[in-house]
Amino acid sequence: MTRQQPKHRPKLGGMAVSLLNELLTNTLDQGYAEAATRRASAAEEGTAAVATASAKVRARALVSVGLLLAGLLGGIGYGQARRSAPESARVKLALIHDIEQRTASSNALEHTLEQLGAQVARERDAALTASTQGTTMRTELRQLESQDGLLAVRGPGLTVTVGDAPPTEQTDPVTGQKVTIPPDENGRITDRDLQIIVNALWAVGAEAVAVDGRQLTATSTIREAGGAILVDFFAVTTPYTIEAIGDPDRLLPRFVDSRVGQQYQTYVGAYQIEFDARPSEELTLKAASGSDLEHATVLPSSAGTPSGAPSSAPGGAPATSGTPGTSGSSGPPGTGPTGSGSATPGGTTSNIHSGGGT
Amino acid sequence: MIPAVALVVGVVLGLTLEPSVPLWLQPYLPIAVVAALDAVFGGVRARLDGIFDSKVFVVSFISNVLVAALIVFMGDQLGVGAQLSTGVVVVLGIRIFGNAAAIRRHLFRA
Repeated sequence: MTRQQPKHRPKLGGMAVSLLNELLTNTLDQGYAEAATRRASAAEEGTAAVATASAKVRARALVSVGLLLAGLLGGIGYGQARRSAPESARVKLALIHDIEQRTASSNALEHTLEQLGAQVARERDAALTASTQGTTMRTELRQLESQDGLLAVRGPGLTVTVGDAPPTEQTDPVTGQKVTIPPDENGRITDRDLQIIVNALWAVGAEAVAVDGRQLTATSTIREAGGAILVDFFAVTTPYTIEAIGDPDRLLPRFVDSRVGQQYQTYVGAYQIEFDARPSEELTLKAASGSDLEHATVLPSSAGTPSGAPSSAPGGAPATSGTPGTSGSSGPPGTGPTGSGSATPGGTTSNIHSGGGT
Repeated sequence: MIPAVALVVGVVLGLTLEPSVPLWLQPYLPIAVVAALDAVFGGVRARLDGIFDSKVFVVSFISNVLVAALIVFMGDQLGVGAQLSTGVVVVLGIRIFGNAAAIRRHLFRA
């Protein structure tokens, strides 16, 4: 063994060296040299005198075809690489285009809904003001509607801004490119956060609340689907603006000193989230697009009598009840989430209700 | 002159026609391109060395492409496709480098 080892080693080493040497020095195909020697020997023997013009042409055509093939291969390879590389980017672009299109059509539908809702309200008002009983009912109805967020409202209030922690920028050690890293779980605002903040605003006496311009009703939902937060099935994005109407001098200190306010202020330091509450002179909240009738159905005959009024009262708040919050099929009085009333498919039903209306 | 034109025409055709490459062939395309590049550089060098032979060129070109693709295919079947294609690229890359250096010596005498 010990005698064989030194004998064996240099052999292997030499082989490896010769292999590399071979690779580095003989870069040209051996065929060319062999063909050249063959030609030389043939010329010596005098048999290669038939290097005619036609043979030359044929050789040139052969080379041309070969190079054409090589070029074709290169071109196809390049095209393939170029087309397949941005495949994911193109899919993403197409998706973005789809999203924009759907959003535009959804916005258009929402606009139509608003217009039709306004028309319905006008017709209803005209019908109600015909009688004195109807006139009092109308005032009652308007009050209920405004409490439920179904009317556009305006007034001083509070603007609370919450947002995800800003993404951190890092330099990739391998590629040297700047990479933006999204905030981790702790730095992301979830539907639960928005629910907590909105509920805290209700609790400190807000009269109307809107998230990113969407006024909340008794049956509004704030929930998460696929990483996006949906308010009444409309996606909202960070930073979230929560507007609450109420006396700012009363709302602001009570909200900031509340448990929720304190909690989120510590989150600013701990997780770098965005959280800010400031008074606003005047806020205008759009009317929420009316909620669907869930239990009431329209009578088949033309029920013009006031007894048919509940079927036309939106938001499940029948106009016959005087005190807010004690009636209704979908608005449990005072406490608890409105889970049973708002039929949100799966997931978290927000516990938001229009409690504490002044 | 005509062969050079043929090469350019081939590239242009490949780019403009954009033929759809079958999916099973796509992994071997880059390797085939490198093999073709090696054959072309070898041909140019042989031409400058004065020993160019059209038959050797075409045969070496086609066999290079096929063998390179075959090696990668076999590697894929054995589960070492990535390593084998690296090996093929290294060997062909060294050859291309050597031939390019020889061409440079011919052209610039340096």
